[in-house]
Amino acid sequence: MFNLSSLVQKAQQFIEPNLVNTGLLSDGRPSKAALFRHQFCLPDSQNPLQEITAELTLPFHHSVKGSDSDSGPKYVGKLHLSEQFLCFSTQASSFLSTASTSSSSSFTGQTHGTGPAGNGFTLPLCGIRRVERQNTPTFHFALVITTTNGFGDSTTAPANSPPQKLKIELAGSRQQCEKFCDGLKRGLREAIKEAGNLRKVIAECYSEYHLASEVAQKEKEAPDTGLGSVFRYPGDSRKLRDKAKMRLWKEYMRENGGNVTLVRQPTFHKLIRVGLPNRLRGETWELTSGSLFLRLQNPELYTDTLSKFSGQESLAIDEIEKDLNRSLPEYPGFQSEEGIGRLRRVLTAYSWIDPDVGYCQAMNIVVAALLIYMSESQAFYLLSVLCDRLLPGYYSTTMYGTLLDQKVFESLVEKTMPILWEHLVKSDVQLSVVSLPWFLSLYINSMPLIFAFRVLDCFFLEGPKVLFQIGLAILRINGEELLDATDDGTFISVLKSYFSRLDESAHPKSENPKLRAVTRFQELMVVAFKEFAGITQETISNQRAKHKDAVLDNIENFAKRTSIRNLGPDSKRLSVNDLGFLYDRFYGVLYERQTRMEMLQQEADRKAKATSARANETVTGIAGNSGVAMGRVGLGPSPTQMDYDAFREFLAGIAKWAVTDSPSSPHRESHDKPSYFNGSVRSRSVSLSPWGSGPEPADHEFMQRLFRRWDKDMNSVLSLQNVVSGLAGVKGSSDIMSNISYFFELYDDDGDGRVDREGILRISEALLFLSRRGMSDVLSPNASTTDFSQSLNGSTDGRRENRDEQFLSSISAFIRRCFEYADPDHASNREGKSDANSVHDSAKAFDAFSIGGDEDDEDLLDLDDKPKSPATPTNTSPPPDLDATPKPNNQTPSRTNAKSANLALDPANPLHLTLPTFRMLILADEQLETFFDTAFANSFRLSDAPVPSSASASSNLTTFSNLSGGRSSSVSAAPVPGAGGVVAPGKGIRGMLDNIVSDGMRVAAEVRRRMDEAQRELEAGGGGAGGVHGQGEEEDEHEELEHDDARSTYARSVREGDRDLLDGAETADVQVQQGESKGVNLMDQPVVEGISGAVGLKVGDESRGRERTGSDASKIVEFER
Amino acid sequence: MADTAGGNAPKPSSSVKLVLLGEAAVGKSSLVMRFVNNDFQENKEPTIGAAFLTQRTQLPHRTIKFEIWDTAGQERFASLAPMYYRNAQAALVVYDLTKASSLTKAQHWVAELQRQASPGIVIALVGNKFDLVSPEGSAAAGGASLDDESEEGNNDANAEDEDAEDSDARKIPTAKAAAYAAEESLLFYETSAKTGMNVQEVFTAIANAIPEASLKGPRGSGGAVGGSTNLGGGQNTENSGRVNLTGASGAIGGKDGCAC
Repeated sequence: MFNLSSLVQKAQQFIEPNLVNTGLLSDGRPSKAALFRHQFCLPDSQNPLQEITAELTLPFHHSVKGSDSDSGPKYVGKLHLSEQFLCFSTQASSFLSTASTSSSSSFTGQTHGTGPAGNGFTLPLCGIRRVERQNTPTFHFALVITTTNGFGDSTTAPANSPPQKLKIELAGSRQQCEKFCDGLKRGLREAIKEAGNLRKVIAECYSEYHLASEVAQKEKEAPDTGLGSVFRYPGDSRKLRDKAKMRLWKEYMRENGGNVTLVRQPTFHKLIRVGLPNRLRGETWELTSGSLFLRLQNPELYTDTLSKFSGQESLAIDEIEKDLNRSLPEYPGFQSEEGIGRLRRVLTAYSWIDPDVGYCQAMNIVVAALLIYMSESQAFYLLSVLCDRLLPGYYSTTMYGTLLDQKVFESLVEKTMPILWEHLVKSDVQLSVVSLPWFLSLYINSMPLIFAFRVLDCFFLEGPKVLFQIGLAILRINGEELLDATDDGTFISVLKSYFSRLDESAHPKSENPKLRAVTRFQELMVVAFKEFAGITQETISNQRAKHKDAVLDNIENFAKRTSIRNLGPDSKRLSVNDLGFLYDRFYGVLYERQTRMEMLQQEADRKAKATSARANETVTGIAGNSGVAMGRVGLGPSPTQMDYDAFREFLAGIAKWAVTDSPSSPHRESHDKPSYFNGSVRSRSVSLSPWGSGPEPADHEFMQRLFRRWDKDMNSVLSLQNVVSGLAGVKGSSDIMSNISYFFELYDDDGDGRVDREGILRISEALLFLSRRGMSDVLSPNASTTDFSQSLNGSTDGRRENRDEQFLSSISAFIRRCFEYADPDHASNREGKSDANSVHDSAKAFDAFSIGGDEDDEDLLDLDDKPKSPATPTNTSPPPDLDATPKPNNQTPSRTNAKSANLALDPANPLHLTLPTFRMLILADEQLETFFDTAFANSFRLSDAPVPSSASASSNLTTFSNLSGGRSSSVSAAPVPGAGGVVAPGKGIRGMLDNIVSDGMRVAAEVRRRMDEAQRELEAGGGGAGGVHGQGEEEDEHEELEHDDARSTYARSVREGDRDLLDGAETADVQVQQGESKGVNLMDQPVVEGISGAVGLKVGDESRGRERTGSDASKIVEFER
Repeated sequence: MADTAGGNAPKPSSSVKLVLLGEAAVGKSSLVMRFVNNDFQENKEPTIGAAFLTQRTQLPHRTIKFEIWDTAGQERFASLAPMYYRNAQAALVVYDLTKASSLTKAQHWVAELQRQASPGIVIALVGNKFDLVSPEGSAAAGGASLDDESEEGNNDANAEDEDAEDSDARKIPTAKAAAYAAEESLLFYETSAKTGMNVQEVFTAIANAIPEASLKGPRGSGGAVGGSTNLGGGQNTENSGRVNLTGASGAIGGKDGCAC
């Protein structure tokens, strides 16, 4: 059942993949820690340790001439402490374990242009120089924090700027305050180590250089601010008012700190909205997206990665090479070796640290754009934040994130612009054909570059919702024209021409000169952030949750279709349904096993974790997403090959003979397959069954042989293609002769057309193994109606039992005849005693045995135990090295006295069976003939067979299709197309057959005992396999199955409930949103409103507070409007 | 109102949705660029999602307006493809003559289209970058059409000769691809977007191969201003295609005059 819970977990991770990593509670919701990291864009290693309500008082500055002349602005909010960060935000979210969900995710709601972190700061502890406690009359505690800002090495210290001091008054009981301060003290002590990193990192920040005195600037080289500094930045910097912006930023940073020590005030957010200046753009992106903190944690990751993998090749690199010359080719920087080289290095380094993503077209365009404004290593970390958090799943191998967000976008269009949506549906225009590139390449190749960068400015600050808001605004603004478009072509051309005229006036004919000055792009921003202010991160998350199943199903169906179609010629011998079933089953098993391994791994990690693992995470900087993207095929890379153990599990799901008789006997597991479990799993003392909820598979030599036979590539793993070809070999032919040959070849180890004595015994064993649960349900015509699970649990009716006994007797007879008709081995051409004689003797001996009394059965055993020829494989060795395993040169020949009784088994008289003989023997027996004609093939149940899960709730053999809920499965309950030519019920004369039957049973028992003994012997050397156990255990198994199923139903319903909850929340949200946008006239009024509200700086503020920058500043604001 | 515009056009006009599929960097976009703008760009930005272009082809008795969906080639974009080949009447499956794996991928696309796209879709298999395998660029390969098996046979023979002379750059013999195309009843051409060889021919051949019956006016025509709404799926079964030849069906391709 833990499969299920993990599936729910996976799904949840998918909904909000940025909150993943360690961040999930057992109920599947993101943990408070994840929410915390998300709000402040912190690396995955950070956890909320302390929090307290506090008031932040900033020092008074010239630029802010408030009424209160003694102190600067004050902000009330929450102060949080993590391992390495001190964060303050006016978005008062709480991450205490006692906090409600809404209070810990409040930042995902409306943020009024500030982004999730609100006003405040996100201060690495190593950026704090000093903390003093101050006495105030009103509060218990007040701290004054002096940052490192202004304390760089003395040469770069800003000429006349005082050290940055933040005053924080804590509101809480003395105890709370002291606890917080203790935590802070500890953190600060730890942080001393990081000071070196900090210096390295901020040396790459242009702000440090920008703030430095002119003298210092001359001594130092300006940090790399991207290709733009060499090849010019896009756009006309005069028109963009770049210099004025730089002055504004300089002033802001002088007062509020640069890079890591920056304090976010409303002006900060407004400065971003009006567009960042060229040289500070890269740095600000880094800061607002949080990639700066990743770089701070591991500044060398980029260069280390490059040197570590230098000279290596990969598919991703080939793909990257193809696109290097076609990434923003019109920008001069990318016509040069320098630009191309940077692009190559960043993309390549990222493909190494995130092999699941590797390289996806569109990344080249995005990275190329980033490189215009930032250094290689800055772009590298930012790319990693993009892939992990901002654009989850966009560039994965299935691109599920892209497809999902298209669905989300479509549904938002439907809700906010129902008329347009209806029109699109009616005229059969698919919205995503136009909107997909917007999202995938962040509008970079849709809009003129300068505008795309403006969108990016907001996107990195406020998160993915910006992409949706802009997209909706584009459609809203072009609504009327789009309503006239009735085909994709017109639709696209309307938008194309809109994008090409973004710099034109939005109201060219207006009387009002101010209104005339508003460009279409500004109008777009206003509509996006005003009219669609109701689109929040929460909206997006809810919509993602709602659509993700459908999207994943689509992708998986596509993958399945493609995969099945490309399986090669052998697959044509199986029906499409069967192939579909095999596909589901194959990947189902792999997925379940992987999930289980992860669970085991997690459990182990939890135990071993504590500090060491965390340290590791910190080192990579880009933490633990590796396991996350796995799982559902639709989510991205997943395993595609099964090893022998997975194969056993696979078989157990389609053939009941592959289900073990002795479930969960741990000692056997541990000894039997060290090679597959790496020993490690076991040593973790796991309470979880390694087989999950499905039946525990048997391990029989026959299965090993089958595995090796199907493993055409000889690499000890099977691909889906191998399995399909293999099954096609078994099921695909209706010809009994080829079936017999197939079986024979399985045992003809050296391919010389002969099976020796050992092989004969093994064939018999295999027949017994295959039939030990009774063949009747596959032998009899009404097989299709037999309940699988019923027969599995040995509930048999008389008739069936009867037939099983017949089959046993047939096998018994088969063994006898084998030796009777086997050819003497010519290779060992023995003289004298005449072969004929010995054969005759042996036949006799067997006859004697089969009808004989109690004494004789021991003989067989003894003789079996004779040393065998070294070339013969043994049944106990694991498959990959089966031939190589040294034979246990068994038991002491103590009972040599019995030897004479059975010459046929005398190793001194080698025998072999040829295919014609084998055929003859099979055809001689009605039961065996039927077995090879249909029953063996039918014992593999594919889609056409009644699959228990679809019919009865008591069995969960095909757990995967069950578990995955919305997942489509081609399991059909169609009855078997009648096993033709089946034996008639025939002779029911029990008494007459009793003898033979009991013989058969005895043979079986002896064979098994012999196996046991051999295994026990092996156990001495570390191996052992349990024999067949009684009915009792089978009943246990049955109970367990039922149990599991009950649990799975429960878990399913829980999930269902979750979804309802999400739906509910979603609807409420949209209602709010509609309420807000209702009645807003989209063209005129909001624009005017927006000038004072969303876009520009307030005119009033302006005239009062801008003496320093003077007229420049007012001009720029006007311009931006 | 749109319908009357057809009066200026001497020939009936129909629009055909065509989709390009194939491995990354085989030259899909370049083929389109050559066809639409008669231009060739060495470093073409990779297509993100898909690009949309239109171009007209004149046939003796009518004009075909191709609505071309040029898709992204990278493997992971494959799952987006159904979005683009939906309702397509024609497909250009492109491979790179100098890259063996690209034909396999092309075959996968053909199989996908045959199973999933609209029934009756006309598929052309196109081996691009002929300029790289034939320095003189003179030999004319391909040109086989559905209804001319014998000609195809000749081509095969020619192709074998060529193969012998071809530089090592060629990884896919003409005969091999031609045989596959014949087996699957595909149009087959070898082209060069760089030199323009066979590009026009491919599109013309496709235009000719589209069954008359499946031709219709530009998609959604008449819907411009409160136009009729009976243009839905029923159009596929519309029988009026034949009438095109008589020139009496200006109405069908009518809107075209407006749309441009």
